[in-house]
Amino acid sequence: MSRSSPHLRLEQLVRHYAGAAAPAVDRISLDLPRGALLALLGPSGCGKTTTLRMIAGLEKPESGRILVGGRDVTALPPHKRHMGVVFQSYALFPHMTSVGNVAFGLEMQGVARAERGPRALAALELVGLSGFAQRKPRQLSGGQQQRVALARALAIEPDLLLLDEPLSALDAKLREGVRDEIRALQQRLGTTAVFVTHDQTEALAMADLVAVMNAGKVEQLAAPEEIFERPATRFVATFVGRAARIQGRLEAGGVLRTEGGAALRTHSSLAAGPVEAFLRPHRVRLLAPGEAAPTGMANVLDATLARRVYTGEIVALEANTPAGVITAELHAGTDGLWRELQPGSPMRLAFRDTDLLVFPAP
Amino acid sequence: MKPTLALRLLACVGYLVLLSPAALVLLISFSAGDFLTFPPPGFSTRWYVALAGNSVLMSALGTSAILAAVVAVVALLVGGPAAYAIARLEFPGRGVLAALLTAPLLLPTLVLGLALLLVLQPLGLAATWPGLVLGHCLVAIPFAVRIMTTAFAGVPKELEAAAWTLGATPFQAALRITLPNAAPGAIAAGVLTFLVSFDETVISLFLVGPRLTTLPVEMFRYAEHTTDPLIAALAMTLIAFAALMVLLVERLMGFSNAMGRE
Repeated sequence: MSRSSPHLRLEQLVRHYAGAAAPAVDRISLDLPRGALLALLGPSGCGKTTTLRMIAGLEKPESGRILVGGRDVTALPPHKRHMGVVFQSYALFPHMTSVGNVAFGLEMQGVARAERGPRALAALELVGLSGFAQRKPRQLSGGQQQRVALARALAIEPDLLLLDEPLSALDAKLREGVRDEIRALQQRLGTTAVFVTHDQTEALAMADLVAVMNAGKVEQLAAPEEIFERPATRFVATFVGRAARIQGRLEAGGVLRTEGGAALRTHSSLAAGPVEAFLRPHRVRLLAPGEAAPTGMANVLDATLARRVYTGEIVALEANTPAGVITAELHAGTDGLWRELQPGSPMRLAFRDTDLLVFPAP
Repeated sequence: MKPTLALRLLACVGYLVLLSPAALVLLISFSAGDFLTFPPPGFSTRWYVALAGNSVLMSALGTSAILAAVVAVVALLVGGPAAYAIARLEFPGRGVLAALLTAPLLLPTLVLGLALLLVLQPLGLAATWPGLVLGHCLVAIPFAVRIMTTAFAGVPKELEAAAWTLGATPFQAALRITLPNAAPGAIAAGVLTFLVSFDETVISLFLVGPRLTTLPVEMFRYAEHTTDPLIAALAMTLIAFAALMVLLVERLMGFSNAMGRE
């Protein structure tokens, strides 16, 4: 195996469920380098969990191949794949203690009896639970159970760590902390990992690579910044992050003309025709009266404030413009202009031509 | 919601109706008289003493207890794997198997007993231990399968999947993970099949012989010919025994829990 070859490779995976017209997973292919963390991101029913279960061997693909470290594992049953899986429900063994849960995996891997105890305890220490070794799962909080599940999966030193919505059962407050811990641990151990989530923030914050999935297909596989800043498809643009939708016709020279009469500059190289553009709220600048648009901000729109939503750090201004309803999000503390504005106030908004994400109209 | 007075009253009446036969038998079992009459002419423990000295009934009690224990073990060993297969595995004919295993429950035991006699007699198995075990298992196994199917189905599939990913073979995962978590069901099935065999009368009537007979059959015969309170003392002993078993299960794990109810 050469160093540059991917650690995990999916080739044209297909999976149908009986009775369903469309395949749950439709010819998915992707490569993941060693030590990287891949997020499978998508709405429910997009095939992300099915993909994860096929990698783990818990479901069989109808066609396609799964390679780990260059080895074809497609035909192997789960117990021969040597992958650590953290289930959404954690799936801790209720009749065993924390340390018993972790040691069970070591036993199944053929670790000598004398070694199991110390190694299981070390794994629990890794997740900060050394004091809870003798507790049964039902005596642990949700966050603690999650860590035991993680310790159990990591203790066998898996070729691949798979996490199925690992944070969804936790309180919102706990989630961020656990998210960062999982990421830190995965990076420290250098474990290649795949995790499934429907939460874009989770995916963007944790992953080296994000695969945005929809209807059984990967819409885009890229680094988080790339996914957010340069979505490859209309679906990615709307699913990841929020954006105002601007409908119109693309004309020669990349000018987007809206029904309301606005002519917006874009960077699009699409052929002339009906298009849909998306504009992220944090990209929109509010201009002071008489202020010239800063260099590079090719688009300026006259607008009327429709609604102002103040949430402390951020203030969202919803404005009616010739391009439709556009939302601008400003840092409430640093940018004071908005304080003067009331619903009905005239205002001017500016943004770059590259801020418009243009796709053919559906 | 607090039960209303009327509801409580109704519950009391219900219990009274349910328990009054047992209470009646309890009083008669301590009768000092010679006949099954109510009210008893006086109280004594003479019929319990007489029971302990009745070698026919005592030997039948021993036979029944051993038979019930053997039946419970066989029913668990046969019914457990069958229940696991029905609850967990996908295979053609699963529904047919489940139906076949519960079919004996639908047949009148009279039919079963007669059929067994017709089959076992030519084989020389009537009135033998194997014959009785077989006959009782026929009615005990469906109970074991039913309870244990529920018990296995109640263990989350993810637990087994987790065990597989950790390197456990399907057999190891079933034995080490699913079975221990279905243990309350297995114990309930064991107790219930024991009691099913212990109480079984109709099939036994066909299959017992002069040298091998069970307690319910002997009780039946005794009550046919004799009308002294000995039979009441025996009935009370059996009730106490059953209650003791339920209590034991309750102590071990909670009876309602063991029966699969939360």
